[in-house]
Formats: sequence, C-alpha cells, structure tokens
Amino acid sequence: MLKSLFYIFLFLILGEGVKHFFDIPIAGNVVGMVLIFFALKFKIIKLEDVKPASDKLIKYLVLFFVPYGVGLMVYADLLRQHWLVLVVASVVSTVFTLYITGFIQQKWDKHE
Amino acid sequence: MNKFFELPIFGVFITLLAFYIAGTVKQRYKFILLNPVLVAIALIITFLVAFDLDFEDYNQGGQYLGFFLGPSVVALGVLFYEKYRQIQHNLVPFLAAVCIGGVFSIVNVVLICVFMNAPDMIIKSIAPKSITTPMAVEVSEIVGGVPSITAGVVIAVGIFGNAFGPAILRFLNITSQAAIGAALGTAAHGIGTARALEDGELTGAYSGLALCVNGVLTSIITPLAIRYLM
Repeated sequence: MLKSLFYIFLFLILGEGVKHFFDIPIAGNVVGMVLIFFALKFKIIKLEDVKPASDKLIKYLVLFFVPYGVGLMVYADLLRQHWLVLVVASVVSTVFTLYITGFIQQKWDKHE
Repeated sequence: MNKFFELPIFGVFITLLAFYIAGTVKQRYKFILLNPVLVAIALIITFLVAFDLDFEDYNQGGQYLGFFLGPSVVALGVLFYEKYRQIQHNLVPFLAAVCIGGVFSIVNVVLICVFMNAPDMIIKSIAPKSITTPMAVEVSEIVGGVPSITAGVVIAVGIFGNAFGPAILRFLNITSQAAIGAALGTAAHGIGTARALEDGELTGAYSGLALCVNGVLTSIITPLAIRYLM
C-alpha cells in the first residue's frame, strides 16, 4: 500500500513538474495520469505495484469533491442571477453530446 | 465566529459525517436525486447556514479532503490502463466517438452561453462541464473560471446523465452497449459511468475509458476554445 501510494504521488509530482517547467496550460494531475498510463503500458512499472492505492483513491473519489460543492454557497447570488443560462446550456449540450458520441460509436462499431 | 469551527478537524469531520449519512440514505431509497454527493453538499451547506458559519471556516478542513483529488486523477490513469485491454480491438471508433463528442460538448456549451449573453466568468466555469470534477476544477482554474461553480455544474450534469442518459439514448435509437457506455462517459463523466456499470461490465468499461480520454482532451481543448470562441 505504501509503495503504491508512493508511485501515485511520484507521478503526480512528475505531472506537476512537467506543467511547471514547460509552462503548459494542462493540469498537472492530468499530465500525471497520462504519464502513469504510459509507464504501465510500457512496463516501466507493474500494475500490482500501484493498484492498491489507486483502487482506494477511486473508491473514495466522490468524497474528495464534496468541499468544492460546498463552495457553491459563496456564489448563491450569482447562481440565482444566471440559473437560466446554466440550466439551458448544460441540458442542451449534454443531450447533444450523448447523441453524437453514441451515434459515432454505434455506426463505426466493430462488434455488430 | 467561534474558534472551534475554524479547526481543520471540524471541516473534515462534518464532511465525513454528511457523506456517511448521504450514503445511508442512498441505500435506503434508490432515488436518483439522492445522489450521495448532492445530499452531502446540501447537508453541509444547510448546517453552515443554520449556524451562521463561513465557507472559509469549513474549508480549513475541507481543503485537506479536496487535496486528494490530485492523486485520484492519477489513479484514473491506472483504471484506464486496466480497461484499455478490453476495448483495444475497437480503439479507433471509440477514440473518434469520444473526441468528436468531447470537442462538440465544449464548443456547443460555449456558443450557447455566448448566444445567451452570459458573463465571461460563467462561460469559463461551465466550459469543462462534461469531465470528471477533479479535472474540471483544474481546467476551470487554468482558464479563469470559478472552480466551485464548475463543480456544481459538473455534478448536476452527471446526475442528469445518470438519470436520463440511457432513456434519451434509447429514444434516439442508440442501443449498442459500447455506444451507450462511450456516450455516458463522454457526456456525464464518473456519475454517468456509475449508471453504465449497472448496465453491464462492457458498458462500464467503455464509459470509464471515455471519461479518462475526454478528461485529457477537454483539458487540452478548453483553453483554446475559450480563446477563439469568446
């Protein structure tokens, strides 16, 4: 568990480092995620060495974003003012995104 | 305010308590709006407002939990690797579907907001609405949005996709497991993926992968979309 947690944080700090030193507008944790994927794919690290910590983190993922959600209370007035555009844009765009993604996947699928 | 509520343990404790209560409620009543995150947030906000406490007091502890979003995103890369082998043979259609859907999502939501005369700050906050919260809040921060508004919108979009996604897709004649999975993961990230997993292992794998791919894609595209569309 400790070893796997070390690996996760190692790739997180690598990702943050890449973001910092190359000054790219992509979150360090996303860079870390891509790096750990390729490290696994090219067998630089072993799946069983990272799996214990990554499974636990993913299991409790939703807990970690509760504080951001609570932060909404600071913006109550702003939400009251702009709720219509937020609702319309979210719903319309989500329906379209669902359809376009599903449509392309189904059309080009190699299963059916 | 009372110094007790500024102790980090207060924020951490109340979050764990609210999350535990929300989980229990969810198990008792299988109703979609009782999403544990939504219920936990509502409980905490209600408590803070009722006792006249500031978000800053709560966040003394809350930020410690929020910190773990960073390593959790890295952990998603591990999940991606595990699922990747299941869909390797179907990789090209999958990547095409997720990339086109993902780019469309950003462009579409930004244009709707511009058309409805929304202020810049709202547009920047809502642009990464389709990707998982930990990535979306980072993107929001990078492009100059408000991470908390992004988190709220993202969670709402996920719940919408979870509740209505499969019905909408069926209505539009999308029936293959791969397609439902890819669509739910691309449009409604982790909360949509939870629904895809109920549908089956294959649907869940496609959805989990779509969430990872679209997360990376949206992180790259959003700053560009904001620059050229606004």
